[in-house]
Amino acid sequence: MKKVGILMLCLMMVMGFHGTVLAKTLKIGTLSPLTGPYAQDGTDILQGAKTAVAVFEKAGGVPGYDKIEVIPGDSACDGGKATMAANKLINSGVSGVVGAYCSSATIPASVPLNQANIIQITPASTHTDVTARGFKQIFRMPPRDDVQAWSTVKFLEDGLKIKTLALIDDRQTYTVGLTENITKFAKENNKIKIVALEHITPADKDFTAVLTKLKKLNPDVIYMGVYQPEGSLMVRQAKALGIKAKMLSEDAVFHPKFIEVGGKAAEGTFLTFAKAPDTPERKDFEKTYMEMWKVETVGSYGYYAYDAAMILLEAIKKAGTTDTDKVVDVLRGTAWNGVTGEIKFDEKGDRKLAHIIWIVKDGKFVPYWDPLTEKYF
Amino acid sequence: MDNASFIIQQLINAIFLGSIYSLIALGYTMVYGIIELINFAHGELFTAGAFIGIIVLAALQNMGFVETHFVLTLILVFGMAMAYVAVLGVAIEHVAYKPLRKASRLAAILSALGMSIFLSNGMMLSQGVSDRAYPAIFGLKGFSILDARIAYGQIFIIILSLVLMVALNMFVNWTKLGKAMRATAQNQTMARMLGIDIDRTIRVTFMIGPALGAAAGVMVGMYYGSVRFDMGFIYMIKAFAAAILGGIGSIPGAVLGGIIIGGVEVLWSAFLPSEWKDVTTFVVLILVLYLRPSGILGEHVSESRV
Amino acid sequence: MAKSDVKKFIIYSLFLGILILPMVGFPGRSFEAARAFTIWGGIVGILAIWLLNKTIRHSDMYLRTSAHLAPFRNTVLRKFSKLPTRHYILLLLIVVGSFPLLANNYMIDVGITCLIYIVLGLGLNIVVGLAGLLDLGYIAFYAVGAYSYSLLNLHFGISFWLSLPIGIVIGAICGCIIGYPTLRMRGDYLAIVTMGFGEIIRLVLNNWDKLTKGPNGLLGMSKPEVVYPAFSKGGFEWVVYSLNSLHALYYLMFIIAILTVIGVRRLDNSRIGRAWVAIREDEVAAELSGVPTTWLKLLAYAMGAAFASVVGAFFAAKLSYTNPNFFIFMESCIVLCIVVLGGVGSIPGVILAGIILIAVPEVFRELQDYRMLAFGLAMAVMMVLRPEGLIPATRRKQELHEADQSSPED
Repeated sequence: MKKVGILMLCLMMVMGFHGTVLAKTLKIGTLSPLTGPYAQDGTDILQGAKTAVAVFEKAGGVPGYDKIEVIPGDSACDGGKATMAANKLINSGVSGVVGAYCSSATIPASVPLNQANIIQITPASTHTDVTARGFKQIFRMPPRDDVQAWSTVKFLEDGLKIKTLALIDDRQTYTVGLTENITKFAKENNKIKIVALEHITPADKDFTAVLTKLKKLNPDVIYMGVYQPEGSLMVRQAKALGIKAKMLSEDAVFHPKFIEVGGKAAEGTFLTFAKAPDTPERKDFEKTYMEMWKVETVGSYGYYAYDAAMILLEAIKKAGTTDTDKVVDVLRGTAWNGVTGEIKFDEKGDRKLAHIIWIVKDGKFVPYWDPLTEKYF
Repeated sequence: MDNASFIIQQLINAIFLGSIYSLIALGYTMVYGIIELINFAHGELFTAGAFIGIIVLAALQNMGFVETHFVLTLILVFGMAMAYVAVLGVAIEHVAYKPLRKASRLAAILSALGMSIFLSNGMMLSQGVSDRAYPAIFGLKGFSILDARIAYGQIFIIILSLVLMVALNMFVNWTKLGKAMRATAQNQTMARMLGIDIDRTIRVTFMIGPALGAAAGVMVGMYYGSVRFDMGFIYMIKAFAAAILGGIGSIPGAVLGGIIIGGVEVLWSAFLPSEWKDVTTFVVLILVLYLRPSGILGEHVSESRV
Repeated sequence: MAKSDVKKFIIYSLFLGILILPMVGFPGRSFEAARAFTIWGGIVGILAIWLLNKTIRHSDMYLRTSAHLAPFRNTVLRKFSKLPTRHYILLLLIVVGSFPLLANNYMIDVGITCLIYIVLGLGLNIVVGLAGLLDLGYIAFYAVGAYSYSLLNLHFGISFWLSLPIGIVIGAICGCIIGYPTLRMRGDYLAIVTMGFGEIIRLVLNNWDKLTKGPNGLLGMSKPEVVYPAFSKGGFEWVVYSLNSLHALYYLMFIIAILTVIGVRRLDNSRIGRAWVAIREDEVAAELSGVPTTWLKLLAYAMGAAFASVVGAFFAAKLSYTNPNFFIFMESCIVLCIVVLGGVGSIPGVILAGIILIAVPEVFRELQDYRMLAFGLAMAVMMVLRPEGLIPATRRKQELHEADQSSPED
């Protein structure tokens, strides 16, 4: 009995190693945390990329290929695991990679991908270092930390016209990048006084101590540099403590779950997030995504991942080859239209994209203010 | 917000957080006291309780039961969550701990760790990776003392914690089964010689301890408003620290330990740089263990355990 | 089929139903009967197969057949066990050494990770296996090694090789700092205190922005370099070769692993090793027999920390990046699992467990959702069925099975 089991196991392993290719298949990989605390966003990324492939195949696919396959990689938000997953994707012969999520996984994973000269488009990592190392084949969908911080400070200075600001972050790579840049811009412009910089622990549930501290300082706005689970709890507790300050947060909180858990307390929260163009493509994407994955809403990184996979496939189709240098030229030289707006990369591989300010109103995210035009919607 | 209400508010925060830690630590201290095993799965049992609570509450809400029978709803939600987790606790004890009672300490700890990983991932697969919103039944309403706010939900939770603590204390001190538990915790061999059914006593402990954890899980879910598969871990660590701080096996000790851990956390964040909050918690724990290994209210601790 | 077995089977199935149906059946607000009953049915099915298997094993037919086969099996086993150990070691070295020539980059990367965890396991084995001190914060020393190399390299341009001894000293000092307050503690208190220290080190790295750049992490450390002589036209010159490729890094890690195995083996058989075992078995007796327990315990922490520090530096050099969130508590748990799963105090056991815990989950990455579930279950089952580990250390095995051995041999 035992031996038969072992034999079966060996067979399964052999079959796992040899993904035998009969038809000519174009492979693209994803890197995102599929296990651990960020598995939700990681799953959104994988699903977004898979949706893009399904839509693209339906529209005709890439000439010369029978099939497009998505190979998932689990980066687990950990450097060592991310490089292993990246090497696995390289060995399975992917033509491009969508990922990773945490900057602390994207940076190590980008080194082997760069050495193997494989295109990497991150749908989530915003740390400045990701594209600042002179790698030619790395691209980024969301705006960098400093761009998002710029939009935030601009909104506070010219939109809300406030005097005092308190910052909270959870001391992770992403959130610290934001609060550091906001502090920098606010100090440079010298219009807003930062009265406090407080820190919480990720995965904690009780933030009343820090919030009470801020209530005493009575700032005009409290900035929450946290992820969605903590963000939802924080607005609830702020409401329960009777804090009058306006709450402002960032794109990691921009998730339907924020409103679902935050409930009435989430009302009136400002968030920085990409503009949602009111195009039929976006509506179609949302419909397809919800049907494909049987969900009621699209996670925010699903949009970026969809766009990333889509332009990768379009570029391969347009270049007529999977040769990295040629595809990179196409990616760089073309202005794409995606579900997150126009996509045009600069030399570094960053998009010229600035976040707009959203507000939670009647249980929905509604566009509120555009920092580029300084106009309300 | 003036200084007086600031301090009152922070004390309220501390007591509330502390009472949740205490309740989890109570279950912990019982289990640890009787089989001397760091039950890593205790955090997952707590989470399981919260999930069952949400399932029952959502079902009752669908039937429109909550508006008509509010108190009965609460009893049902807590009762079913506690019952479920009691069964789960016994099952885990039977499968993963009982066969290891005579094995080395390390094997038992690893088995507990394995159970914790298994349960947490099982809940992730069955209940989803993102947080689930708890149906709001208390809302955020409350009243004020000066400028400090207390929510009605908090009052309910603190009272319920107190009731459970007193009930547990009475059970352990006055009933026959409770006495058997204390005897087993002190000296298993001796207890067996006196005719106590050790297996049964341990099984009961593994029902009561996790059930208390489940009650805490439902409270946390109800008050904070969300549940996620991995939320148990951080509470498990804090509760373990609280149980050791108060003195393993001592029920008032666990309560005191919970309040102290909650208090240190809140008051440090309130007056000092908040990023060092967790460092402080651990430093306090290490100092107490170094200076007074038996914990604050612990009785003499046998040589083998220190 | 025994009646008690059937009764047990029914009771188990019912209990499983109580546990599984509500948890699995309500992923949302409504009850999904199909999903719940499929999973319950599947697990009950596995239970039924197990019951059937047990029945067959106890049937006369099976017993008679296996009695026939026994002599044959024994001959085969005897043939294998006759080979001296060094043949096995040679075979293992050849396989591990030639592995990169046959494997692709991904497999080599997994191989490097395996080797890293094996060395960590061997280092922890000194603390847990030999000295019997439970350590749940071991990964902190790995972090210390990674950060000492990163900081020395970035700020002072010190090369990998030169920073290794410095890192070892820093690691050993940290080991002693953690070891000192825990000298009086044993068992679970030790576990919680070491866990606390591990978290403190991680939080300090995360919060000390000025030195470590906090959660931004450190970036751009150089790879290890080797210098070798080459003969060119002008005669003789030294060529600097940077270990950039995965192959080179693999062989570097392979050498580190071999040195670690030799080092730990020597320690195990030395006076110090025996003194550690004495402390593990009975500290009071050891002290009375003149073993300087305080120093030896500190030494155990320091030695364990030194090995972790070396691989930490290697890890930072390999990634050219380090971040405090690589060193979370779960990593300490995994290293501890390697030690215990392999067999406390057993070197071949740790090596085998390292391969099983790191490489096998990689093979099953396709089933990623169920990977950790199986990992946790396997850990618990393993501890229940075989608490002494996969390859128990000889000394340890005797202790655990003292009762059923009539004449213990040594």
